[in-house]
Amino acid sequence: MTGGRGDPGLLDRMVGNSLGWLDGARPFFRLPPNVTTDADPNLTLKPLGELAELTQVIASLHPCAGIRETAGGLFAFAWGETRDGELFAELVRGEPFATYPVEIYGAFARAGRRNAAVEELLSTTARLRGWRVARDDHTRTLGVLNAERRIGLPQHADFDAVLGHTVLGRLPEPWALDRRAAYGVTHDVFHLTDWGRTPRRLTPDLAGYLRLWLPSWLESWLEEQLWDLAGELLAVSACLPDAPYDSAAWQRLAGAQAADGSVPETGTAPCPDDPAEAFTACYHSTLVTAFAGTLARIAAGPSAEGSGAAATDRRAPSAHPLRCESEAIP
Amino acid sequence: MVTDRTAPTETTILAAEVEGLLDSAEPHGVFRDTRECGAGLLLLALLLISPPTPRPKTDER
Amino acid sequence: MAEQAQGAVPLSAVIADAATGVALALRGEGDPYAVSRILRQGDAASLAALRVLGADALAPYALDHRVCPGGDDEMVVRQALTAYPPGTDASEVSVWSYRGLVEASHSYLSGGAEPWPQPPQAAAGWVTADPWPKLAHRVSQLAALALPGLAPGLADDLATRTDDLARGFVRAVRRRDWLQAAGVGRWLSRLPKVPQTLGLDAGLAFVRQMSDGEPRVAVHVAAAHRFYGRGW
Repeated sequence: MTGGRGDPGLLDRMVGNSLGWLDGARPFFRLPPNVTTDADPNLTLKPLGELAELTQVIASLHPCAGIRETAGGLFAFAWGETRDGELFAELVRGEPFATYPVEIYGAFARAGRRNAAVEELLSTTARLRGWRVARDDHTRTLGVLNAERRIGLPQHADFDAVLGHTVLGRLPEPWALDRRAAYGVTHDVFHLTDWGRTPRRLTPDLAGYLRLWLPSWLESWLEEQLWDLAGELLAVSACLPDAPYDSAAWQRLAGAQAADGSVPETGTAPCPDDPAEAFTACYHSTLVTAFAGTLARIAAGPSAEGSGAAATDRRAPSAHPLRCESEAIP
Repeated sequence: MVTDRTAPTETTILAAEVEGLLDSAEPHGVFRDTRECGAGLLLLALLLISPPTPRPKTDER
Repeated sequence: MAEQAQGAVPLSAVIADAATGVALALRGEGDPYAVSRILRQGDAASLAALRVLGADALAPYALDHRVCPGGDDEMVVRQALTAYPPGTDASEVSVWSYRGLVEASHSYLSGGAEPWPQPPQAAAGWVTADPWPKLAHRVSQLAALALPGLAPGLADDLATRTDDLARGFVRAVRRRDWLQAAGVGRWLSRLPKVPQTLGLDAGLAFVRQMSDGEPRVAVHVAAAHRFYGRGW
């Protein structure tokens, strides 16, 4: 792993191709009429929530205008699918004690897409003592806390105290991480840094721990060909101060990306006889690739010339104009 | 042990075996995770969100 | 697998038996250790096993120097050194391992009438050149050199890559390559400034448990504990 500036051409191609595939997959992100009742949320709300969360990061941070535009279009599409947020009011009325509508709504609220009826509802449900009952999954609690912060709801618990109970917060033996714990670590970092926007929230202890062990985790899960986890680990690397750029790891992830821009969850791309199945098998890794490529791209940006590339909050590209190779290409 | 092992041919064979054992290739990685991790959707459910089940039915509303 | 003489025990089994004896001795269990008791003079497979174990065949002597100069112990080591020298096309690991056995003879079996051969030159460019996964694998193959006083130059060089070796330990455990993990862990036990978050002591114990008594893993873990106080 080197601390070099990365390979903007490769990263931009990967992000652009991923977004191209995702843009073409809009029909599969569309919510079915029974989304608030019988539909499997793992196949409906979860993909749409991820689409919103990650395209919003890309749309606000990526230096290439074309990429920002595509990502912004997808984000607007996702908001449209929620019927400008009305969906969340229905979800909260149906499942008032569930946190996931709040978590997904938070991704939109952060970008200023808000719905008064939803917030009226949440002002009651998120204040219940029941809401404050600790979840058994501390990483998810961080996600809820981040959503509360975004929406402007009171924090139901102390973020740092909860972080101390997560996988990352406990700094486990790095060889003792299984797959589930590794996903825990990546998401602890994403919630803590608001999906890479505020990397300075990583304390020196946490950053040092991650810098030391990320290479071995990356190597391990690249060998296992778990591309989504490898992508998430690359995204975490990009959140570190003076973010290291692992050129070989990026090349391996690039090798997993199909010609159409999709990145399979594991192994090699499935034969898409059934387009819906291909979507399920690829949408997450493809989104993660676009997200990780964006963070790696800005981590290698102009401020990398000075010290502490990732030490400050990431701003909109207008504040840090970067040259964008792909924009020179018609 | 009754076999005479000092025959030159045996030593030659063993010498090759010694070299092979000293500089042995790395075994293939064995990756096993707890079955809790599961595959497919269970795994996906760990990621951004994992909505609770069961969910309200239309007629309960 | 090489052709075996009829009725002969496979080399791997001879190695495993001898390693079990070494591990017991390092843990202070079993009869007083004598390399000539577990590996016979004049027996080609025994000598080959001694060559493969390298300095580890003499590791218990690093604990107490109760060796009779010129005795059977010295003889069997001399025979192994003569029978299986690294050839011209030998791997660097083979040369280093041979060198380790010679160094251990100098250190732990001194005082005989005849001098021991000089240790062969062994290249160390790989210590800086290898990417960390390759480095960790190679270092694990040379785990027998992680003994008091042996290969001081190599130890100094490896100390510049402690973090990389620690990453190799993590990778080896993830891959369930217990022998590699134990070998790298043993070297880490000898090196200063091992990252505290690695959890080396717990890691060595974990590897020993997970390997289910594999004799060479047991040797590495016992050596790390006995000589460097690491592991449980």
